[in-house]
Amino acid sequence: MMIWLTGLLRRRTGRILGTAAGIAAAVALLATVGSFLSTARASMTARAVAPVQVDWQVHLNAGADPRAVLATTRAEPGVAVALPVGYAKVPALSTQDGTTVSTTGAAVVVGLPPDYRTVFPGQIRDLGGTGNGVLLAQQTAANLRARPGSVVTVTRPGLPAAQVTVDGIVDLPHADTMLALDPAATAPPDNVLLLPATTFTTLFDPLRADRPDLLADQIHVRTDRRLPADPGTAYTVSTGAAHHLDATLAGAGQSTDNLAAALDAARSDAAYATALFLFLASPGAALAGLLTATVVAAAADRRRKEQALLRARGATARQLLSIAAVEATVSGIIGAALGAAAAAALGSLVFGDSGTAAWSAAAAAAGLVIAAGTVLLPAGRSLRTQTVAAGRTGAARPRLPLVLRLGVDGIALVGAFLVLRATTATGYQLVVAPEGAPRIAVDHWAFTGPALLWIGAALLTWRLVEAGLRFGRRPLTTLLRPVAGPLAGTVAATLQRRRRPIATAATLIACAIAFAVSTAAFTATYQQQAEVDARLTNGADVTVTATPGDLTGGLADAIHATPGVRHVETIQHRFAYVGADLQDLYAVRPATITGGAHLADAWFTGGTAETLMHRLEQQPDGILVSAETVTDFQLQPGDQLILRITDPRTGNPTPVTFHFLGVVNEFPTAPTDSFLVANQHYIAGKVGDGPSTHLIDAGGHDPATVAAALRAAIGPGPAITDITASRTVIGSSLTAVDLDGLTRIELGFALLLAVASAGLVLALGLTERRRTFTITTALGARVRHLAGFVAGEALVITVPALVIGAGTGVGLAQVLIVILKGTFDPPPDRMALPWTYLIVLGAAMVAAVAVTVTGVLAQTRKPRLALLRDV
Amino acid sequence: MERGATVFVGTHLSRTFGQVAAVRDVSCRITATDRIAVTGASGSGKSTLLQLIAGIDDPSGGRAAWPALDGHPRRRPGRIGIVFQSPALLPTLDVHENVALSVLLAGQSAGQARRAASEALRLLHLDDLADRLPHELSGGQAQRVAVARAVATNPDLVVADEPTAALDSATAAHLLDVLLSTVDRLGAALVLATHDSTVAGRMDIRWPMADGTIPTAKASS
Ligand SMILES: Nc1ncnc2c1ncn2[C@@H]1O[C@H](COP(=O)(O)OP(=O)(O)OP(=O)(O)O)[C@@H](O)[C@H]1O
Ligand SMILES: [Mg+2]
Repeated sequence: MMIWLTGLLRRRTGRILGTAAGIAAAVALLATVGSFLSTARASMTARAVAPVQVDWQVHLNAGADPRAVLATTRAEPGVAVALPVGYAKVPALSTQDGTTVSTTGAAVVVGLPPDYRTVFPGQIRDLGGTGNGVLLAQQTAANLRARPGSVVTVTRPGLPAAQVTVDGIVDLPHADTMLALDPAATAPPDNVLLLPATTFTTLFDPLRADRPDLLADQIHVRTDRRLPADPGTAYTVSTGAAHHLDATLAGAGQSTDNLAAALDAARSDAAYATALFLFLASPGAALAGLLTATVVAAAADRRRKEQALLRARGATARQLLSIAAVEATVSGIIGAALGAAAAAALGSLVFGDSGTAAWSAAAAAAGLVIAAGTVLLPAGRSLRTQTVAAGRTGAARPRLPLVLRLGVDGIALVGAFLVLRATTATGYQLVVAPEGAPRIAVDHWAFTGPALLWIGAALLTWRLVEAGLRFGRRPLTTLLRPVAGPLAGTVAATLQRRRRPIATAATLIACAIAFAVSTAAFTATYQQQAEVDARLTNGADVTVTATPGDLTGGLADAIHATPGVRHVETIQHRFAYVGADLQDLYAVRPATITGGAHLADAWFTGGTAETLMHRLEQQPDGILVSAETVTDFQLQPGDQLILRITDPRTGNPTPVTFHFLGVVNEFPTAPTDSFLVANQHYIAGKVGDGPSTHLIDAGGHDPATVAAALRAAIGPGPAITDITASRTVIGSSLTAVDLDGLTRIELGFALLLAVASAGLVLALGLTERRRTFTITTALGARVRHLAGFVAGEALVITVPALVIGAGTGVGLAQVLIVILKGTFDPPPDRMALPWTYLIVLGAAMVAAVAVTVTGVLAQTRKPRLALLRDV
Repeated sequence: MERGATVFVGTHLSRTFGQVAAVRDVSCRITATDRIAVTGASGSGKSTLLQLIAGIDDPSGGRAAWPALDGHPRRRPGRIGIVFQSPALLPTLDVHENVALSVLLAGQSAGQARRAASEALRLLHLDDLADRLPHELSGGQAQRVAVARAVATNPDLVVADEPTAALDSATAAHLLDVLLSTVDRLGAALVLATHDSTVAGRMDIRWPMADGTIPTAKASS
């Protein structure tokens, strides 16, 4: 029995290897994308926590002993460094310049221990002066018109005012957490003065006895960050540790977990990444499975004969099934092993990580399932329908398959439409992650949309091709005349009767093309949005922000003269009071702004970027405001809006009248909350110039190089950032995950699948008809006659497949973009189509078809007389 | 075609497949209106010789010529009609299309092919079966369609390889009647391979093959 089996399997080597190759492709795709996913998750965790400076902030409760709490915190497992920070609320800060006195409103004074900036290097960014000693926040410096060397008077309730000399001007990128005086604080204070701990103690210890309400103590903690790779698990671990500390402190303090807050966003991104994986990889794996099934089915005839022969020799149905089972297992194991090895090789080549064992195992299991489905199932079925005659009626008058007679295609498409309408409804979210909730929910219903679309589109392709061939013989004859000449009618007749295998082939190829096109369009859009995201954060290729107080125009000229700079667009960053609300105001030159910054239409409401900038240009006192501001102030277009803008020349907030023009949601360098955009010229005329931000178009040069050149040209004062740097620091948003490697693998795989399906399906269909071609040749057909048959079939299969497949692909990409809109911030204006890839795909398809057709023709040129002999 | 015109001349024809010499040193001549039966045991080389005569295979040695057809039949399709051992109809074409195909391959227009096919089917009393597909035909019907296909181009030579082998004797006799009357009307030569002595008996000339050669006959009439 064993010998018999091995002998049998040896004779099936080709078939087994063919099946194994298909399975290997599916396994490789699943395993590669899977290990990309785990790498991506780990990098999301890393990216999420990287910008976090202070992991935990322990807010001491009134009456707690700071030393004891500090000691307890330092002893807590997982705590790397813990530093005490003091806060004092003061009614005002002021400066005097000659006779002019500038005064701020309420301010916060912070006392920092000496090594604070070493431990938390990203908390404080120098903008001018020295980074040690007395530091003034940028906005406060602007309000006080202070610069290094200025003397600031600190008002102390119940005590004489104290004076300190400013050593430096700083930016506080993490002001919202750093200056949160209690765990529930929402907005950071407007005015901030940082003091060395010793100075702070000297100034404010005398207040402790009388006004403890004005003082607060915190402990800023950096943890050892030994976190699990997955953002979700990391979130749970970090939250748990922070809670443990709170429990240990027993009411003496309460911690804010900044680390968990950062991971909270990342874990919903991780859920999106998983969804992305499912959307992008599973159709490919399914397609590889289908292709395998097609290869196996091509041998169905031979299998049936073989089974009949073995049965005649006395083999039982069970024995025949066990042979098929062995064949399935062997091809499954070979395929899974090859696929896993290929994935490991690809992974270490592209991601520098050969993937996880779990993913390889899961993918291999999927491979075995495919093997069972493609080999075992048809073998069992053919055992049940043992009539050889039934197998011979290849080109009968084919009936429509049951699924189409039942109208499953229509049902699936309607279902897809309904699901998609539900998912595109406003407020829909694929991933629901209530802030702080221990678990996040993924809406699995969303997956049915694309799945139904796939099924519906595939079946509709089948129906269309089948119907076209069934009813379109006359037009088909006309269309085939150029390739088939007088044989056009005969070729059309053949194609009409072969409509079932042709429709199957066209459907498979259309699916492969749809997969390639949708993957390409989706990933291109994704990358486009990652670019937009980076641009939005940085404003332009390179951004130079002048030191506050530097209002000279000399900087722009210096920038212009730097090599690599194509265009410089200057916007001025001001602050303006809208009622009591202080907002960022961007003073722009609407006529030229698009030269340096790329404005996306999605950033504006009620018009494209261009039309709104044009309107702003037309109306000097026009202003664009955030949607919240429109709601808050009940603004109607044309409404008058009076802002108070600080005039740097006098230091006084001056009322300036604007007219509401439109809504802006995002703007280069702007914060995520409310801000304003108005005409630079108009504002400068009313309240003088403000500090400039120069948006630089590097004109195709490497932004990092241009940034370095600028640094050399303009010295250390102004802050210079380039887009490549911001691409790597943008939060943990999924668009920041580098999809490059995955994209290359996915697109390569899609291309391979499309080419393989076109070549294989055509070749299988045509070799199945070798006998027909031999007879035709024996009857006197020339190569050109056969070419008519072969090319006719190739065209009838590939042209509809290309057209329908491309259409379906674009549709699917659109659907994915809609469903995964949560991954895009901001949402895309339009889908990006990667033309190069699509052209390569088309060319590769054409080449595959051409090679197959010429190959088949070369084979039929010399009639295989042996084929004439068997009945 | 002229009476007595030489349709085929084979000189020292041989055809080998690897070690097997299927046809060895056969010289023969076929003239118009010849009725030749090629007989012999299975494996004696009948089919191989017929393929050489029909020009669908090339000899490994010797020379094949078709004087009355001026040139190789592969360059002038339609001058030789072939009936294979099995009907060998194209499964995707109906009866009419199968017959018309050989006319089309002979270079006629689609309209001419349609008319010639209808005519051939009428002659063989196959009109009723015109739009059947091959798998909807009986063996005898299919073989008659194969004959119709072979004669539809008005050939000068009809080569038939055991056309009656798979048929019962009555059907076989009928098919042979049809074939003979058709080639008579066309004035074509007929070469027919057969095991059946009754079939062979209805021919004028007999080429008994053994082991790839024809010991006695060298030429006809
Ligand atoms: N294409 C081929 N390849 C290899 N050997 C062949 C081929 N065609 C014929 N032969 C061999 O040549 C010999 C003659 O075969 P052929 O088919 O001409 O015999 P036949 O007389 O027609 O037999 P039958 O009466 O069974 O049809 C046989 O031994 C056969 O095995
Ligand atoms: Mg034979």
